[in-house]
Amino acid sequence: MNAFRETRVLTEAALAIALAFVLGLLPAFKMPFGGSISLEMIPLILLALRQGPVVGTVAGVAYGFLDLVIDPFIVHPVQVLLDYPLAFGALGLAGFFPPSVRGAILGSTVAVFGRFVCHFLSGVVFFSSYAWKGWSPAAYSAVYNAGYLVPSLLIALVVVVALLKALEGAQPSPRQLRYRHSTTS
Amino acid sequence: MTSRSLGQFYPVASVVHELDPRAKIAATAMLVAGLFLVDSTRGLLFVAAALVALVAASHIPARTFLRLLRPVLFLVVLTVLFQVLFSREGGMLFEWSIFEIHSGGLRLGFFLALRILLLVSVAGLLTATTAPVALADGIEDLLSPLKWVRFPAHEVAMMMTIALRFIPTLGEEAEKITRAQAARGADFSEGGPLRRARALVPVLVPLTVGAFRRADELAEAMESRGYRGGEGRTRYRELRFRTRDAIALGITVLVLLVGVLL
Repeated sequence: MNAFRETRVLTEAALAIALAFVLGLLPAFKMPFGGSISLEMIPLILLALRQGPVVGTVAGVAYGFLDLVIDPFIVHPVQVLLDYPLAFGALGLAGFFPPSVRGAILGSTVAVFGRFVCHFLSGVVFFSSYAWKGWSPAAYSAVYNAGYLVPSLLIALVVVVALLKALEGAQPSPRQLRYRHSTTS
Repeated sequence: MTSRSLGQFYPVASVVHELDPRAKIAATAMLVAGLFLVDSTRGLLFVAAALVALVAASHIPARTFLRLLRPVLFLVVLTVLFQVLFSREGGMLFEWSIFEIHSGGLRLGFFLALRILLLVSVAGLLTATTAPVALADGIEDLLSPLKWVRFPAHEVAMMMTIALRFIPTLGEEAEKITRAQAARGADFSEGGPLRRARALVPVLVPLTVGAFRRADELAEAMESRGYRGGEGRTRYRELRFRTRDAIALGITVLVLLVGVLL
């Protein structure tokens, strides 16, 4: 894969995954069926903004597998795919936006929405297979997943912008440098 | 927090621990998918009996294993409750004002609860008997056919392995920085979530910048030791697929087959 020809990109992605996991260990609020208001998405969104959509997506998939390996929550085969590799892979969508303040805000929103879609579908699959009568699976899944993803997104918006700036100063990625040149020249 | 206490891995010597991680992952995947083909309670009970035997063979204390099931307890209770209270199938067993309990609901509730418990047990047994690094190696091998569609299997596994190595390090660092900021008067427990998020920025900035700098140094160290990507790379511990792994897979298929037919 061309995106990983540089070892630097690989290690940055790996450390972002480790950081995401560490931040995920301090959740503010855990939901009964998995999912919590937490900071875990922030390093993965940052990585996507710094290294582009391919690296962001692959790292998200790897984070999903890591999460699955360490702390599995399996109730349905399709649910496993949607809730782990695909949901976190969706965070790579942030990489389609430029590493600017506007791009960070739009990118985070789109990325978290992508993750929401995965968890939403997984919820519908799960509910339709366990068939609780009198509940609309779609409405329930939407409310349940938005319940922790919307607050997580709001927190991410505050933090991602600050961190992107800090990293641009301390250790700009090639993508950030390219963006800076294209706006100053 | 050490890498040993991370996750659910329970390091003891047993037949199950020594199986090839690829065989265990494949067996787990087969069981998770296969449990949805088992459509009778008798079939599920048979698979459950086989699983109990497997847990016994894994030398994991029953109490430790049961702790793995705690996260889904709420889900199980709720599933049973909904089936029992709202199902109107089968003969009525009990009636009290608006509540009716039917035999069909009881049966379905038990069936669904058992299936959830089995799914979680199967996944739990895999992670309890296999070290995370071995699982990452297994995932790399099992995903490598996807290299044909340019899926970076090696990179995904490498990231998982490096991440596992650095989770304890970064965890320690996070704790150190949090204490340092608290000593300077930072308050992380006051106000709403947004205010708390803003209070976290002074912790997250040094933590993130430090992590990304560490990544840079690690890349340098890896390249100076000759790392050039996954092509042609050998492993310190080679995975070996032995006869007993094939036997384990065969037994898994057999158990599922009997479960489906029962």
